[in-house]
Amino acid sequence: MPVAKDTMIEVIDVNKEYRRSGAIIRALVDINLTIKAGDFVIIQGPTGCGKSTLLNVMSGLDLPDSGKIIFDGENIARATEDRLSKLRRQKVGFVFQDFNLIKTLTAIENIEALLWPTVLSSKEIENRAIAALRDVGMLGRKDHFPVEMSGGEKQRVALARAIVSKPRVVFGDEVSGNLDPDSETQIMQLLKKINEEYETTMIVVTHRDSVAKYGNKIVRMSKGAIQSIK
Amino acid sequence: MVLRLWKKAVKMSTREKRMFTVFTLMYTVLIFWTSYSLELAFSSATAAQGFGSTSFLIALGASIFLTLLYAWIIVARNRRTWATLKCIGYTNGNINSIVLGHIFFTTLVGFLITIETLFHYMAIVGYLQAADTSMNHLVINLPIISLLPVLITVGVFACVQFIGYFLASSKITKVRPMLALKRVGE
Repeated sequence: MPVAKDTMIEVIDVNKEYRRSGAIIRALVDINLTIKAGDFVIIQGPTGCGKSTLLNVMSGLDLPDSGKIIFDGENIARATEDRLSKLRRQKVGFVFQDFNLIKTLTAIENIEALLWPTVLSSKEIENRAIAALRDVGMLGRKDHFPVEMSGGEKQRVALARAIVSKPRVVFGDEVSGNLDPDSETQIMQLLKKINEEYETTMIVVTHRDSVAKYGNKIVRMSKGAIQSIK
Repeated sequence: MVLRLWKKAVKMSTREKRMFTVFTLMYTVLIFWTSYSLELAFSSATAAQGFGSTSFLIALGASIFLTLLYAWIIVARNRRTWATLKCIGYTNGNINSIVLGHIFFTTLVGFLITIETLFHYMAIVGYLQAADTSMNHLVINLPIISLLPVLITVGVFACVQFIGYFLASSKITKVRPMLALKRVGE
């Protein structure tokens, strides 16, 4: 008999509006979504459908106007900024479309940077960064600066940074948006491997159909609302 | 933990070679100028006192302007970096520690270069004033900069750096982590 998975994120009646040039834009409309631990969720939809806003509120980068976000048992919809920072450091990893590596740091330093504000020793931080680089097959490039790497390599380093703290959830925002098809396949396979090996919950926002096949749950959005969940 | 962030800030600032070199040299000139002006202001000659006081005020204004400019550049040029660090769990305090490291390290290096320059300046001026050479008349009025103006300058620059730090700190608080998710150029 299969073991029931724990709920990792529960989005309950979430609404979010923006004001732009006097007009009110309803970015999220009565969103309800449950994500189990170990799920690989793909959030799809056209530009402006609210998928990035949903990612922002689920990851604690932004707060909803109403509703609840239960993240690993804790409602973060009204959490303080310091609490959200701590939550992101301990439980969340991010992979960005533009990689967002710090250009004055080498690959290994970019990964270690996530652990600098922790109480871990420098040796432990280095060991964890090396392990993360090994996981993404970039150990041989550890002393290279971002400017010396290709887009696919940068994204692998960014992925190593996302997993170095062994997060419960990794959020990806158009992770393959700046990559060629080969690099996209490599990155998505790596995400899948990490999802399966470490049971890390993956939540990836994308508009590409080629990415959808890696997920076990596909959430389609349109005009701020969830259209379907498969 | 804060010490570790400062050490990393030092590494990051030295790797931004062009900006680090330009600002360090500007600080060197300003620290030397301030010490020199103070020495004149403390001298017994009335004319030198007036000139020294005015020169000191100009140097002070220039150093405040330069510090604010440096703090503003550090924050503005790296907004995306600060937003990314916030995304991955840095608090405003963590990022402020890095910025503090940037600002104070640049000033410290400028100060150390000034000390080195002052040694050479005093050796050359002292020698030329004592020696019976044809250049004697050129240097006879140049003051030997004593320790007190240098120490006061250090104090003044430390205070000025805090002004820059508070400016940077207030700007960093306003950087939203979501900025990291925006596309480059968006």
